[in-house]
Amino acid sequence: MIELLRAAAEEAPHRVALASAAGVTTYAELVARAETAAAELRARGVRRLAVLDPDHATVWALLAACSLAQVESCVYPVAATEETVAELRERLDHDLLATTRELPGPGLLCPDELWAGAEREDGPVPDGPRPLLVLTSGTTSGRPQAARHDWSRILRVALRIRPTPEQRWLLAYAPNQFAGLQMLLHVAAARATLAAGRSFQPRDGLEAMRRFGVTHASGTPTFWRFLLAELRTDGEPPPPLEQVTLGGEAVPSAVVEALRATFSRARISQLYAATEMGLSISVRDGEVGLPLSVLDETDGEAELRILDGELWVRSRSSMLGYYGDEPVPDDGWRATGDLVEVVGDRIHFRGRATEVINVGGVKVHPLPIEERVARVPGVALAHAHGRPNALVGQVVALDVVLGGGADADAVDAAIREEFAGDPPAHRPRSITFVESIDTHGGKLLRGRTS
Amino acid sequence: MSSETTTVRQTVSDFLVRVKKGRDDLPDDLALFGDGLALDSLEAAELSVVLEDTYGRDPFSAGGDLPQTVGDVLAFYEAATTP
Repeated sequence: MIELLRAAAEEAPHRVALASAAGVTTYAELVARAETAAAELRARGVRRLAVLDPDHATVWALLAACSLAQVESCVYPVAATEETVAELRERLDHDLLATTRELPGPGLLCPDELWAGAEREDGPVPDGPRPLLVLTSGTTSGRPQAARHDWSRILRVALRIRPTPEQRWLLAYAPNQFAGLQMLLHVAAARATLAAGRSFQPRDGLEAMRRFGVTHASGTPTFWRFLLAELRTDGEPPPPLEQVTLGGEAVPSAVVEALRATFSRARISQLYAATEMGLSISVRDGEVGLPLSVLDETDGEAELRILDGELWVRSRSSMLGYYGDEPVPDDGWRATGDLVEVVGDRIHFRGRATEVINVGGVKVHPLPIEERVARVPGVALAHAHGRPNALVGQVVALDVVLGGGADADAVDAAIREEFAGDPPAHRPRSITFVESIDTHGGKLLRGRTS
Repeated sequence: MSSETTTVRQTVSDFLVRVKKGRDDLPDDLALFGDGLALDSLEAAELSVVLEDTYGRDPFSAGGDLPQTVGDVLAFYEAATTP
């Protein structure tokens, strides 16, 4: 990370790296903070550091400092409760936490202390291990795991990104997420500007797009769905985006079509990524799913294959294992947990292995159902899941958010009609109309039953 | 006939219309399965969902014998409301 920031600062020290409601931070300021903090961390003999701070510039500078001082960093989610923070610190053996929050217990360090010193570590990036931990989203297990990475592996792809300093990217993922870290890396490598909203909610993202003249934005399909809904209600013209990227969840074609219609100047791309992979695969043809040709690509960074309907990956940037577990071979194949199906010349995502609905022994994938429900007039958002049932184990259940003015009875009937010709196990047997659907890290909360 | 019975019978009738098995009348001895209403297992599962959503509990999930007739379904709720 520090090498990317230094390169950007050397070219244009006063270029804005981060713009937010709190103000702007230049690349020179980020590097100064990082180098001062690195010297302080070394002086204190710190080897591992947890970070919990709502200020993105602080997190960015601390990540860079740790990458320079060979300190293993780990960013905690800002929304974490006191109990969650305590659980993470206990489980991940984090004796030291850099934070501005008032929390109980010892081992707290205010980030300001780290850049108050006079010394700067301005020498070359050291050889040897430069570890970091990245928390998984935990949407499946309910408890995030910590994937062990090394900056040298994570940076392999970022170092090849060409500078595009005119780009202004929206930060739509929290920096504790792998996708958020990827965004920091991408913007630093591109020597561009990152714009952050007051929160990661689509409404605040839209406000930040307009306020900071965002040209490029990457978010989950759920994020984009809600942002489109915000646009419909506020009546203002859509921001003139040049790039719209979707990732983190399977991408429904209805969302791609709506984005294409709304952001007519934008290139639409999809990212396939996972915290454990250490990189993302970008598809820019605007079609849903991945082209089958990705299975033949061997660019040396990542390879994909399908085994028993599940996507497997081998990546040179992949994690080295989960914290507390045995190391995994750094060049081994790894199951992604993403279930896929080849349709023509595309690989379509069917859902997570853990989300499959078991209806009397018939495996039903929720994502294709959600996609079809989303196309029914009057449906704003849908979530398909398994509902426990004494007779058949589970039935397909839907939580549905209605679009403005839609009639619930009419939409209920239309959904049932949509699936009337499907195999019986695939038909939704329970439809519940709800005000909203929970999201976590910009993704629909999955893996639950009701 | 209690008002509870009438209400439950109407719920079952509405459900049957929805799954295209609507009947003009639903006598108590009408079988849910086989030659009666010929509900398959998933239709029965859906009926249990409807009843649970409407009344908070349903006779298919109660742990006893599965109801075999319309009357068995009604009796489950009658028993629940009988002091």
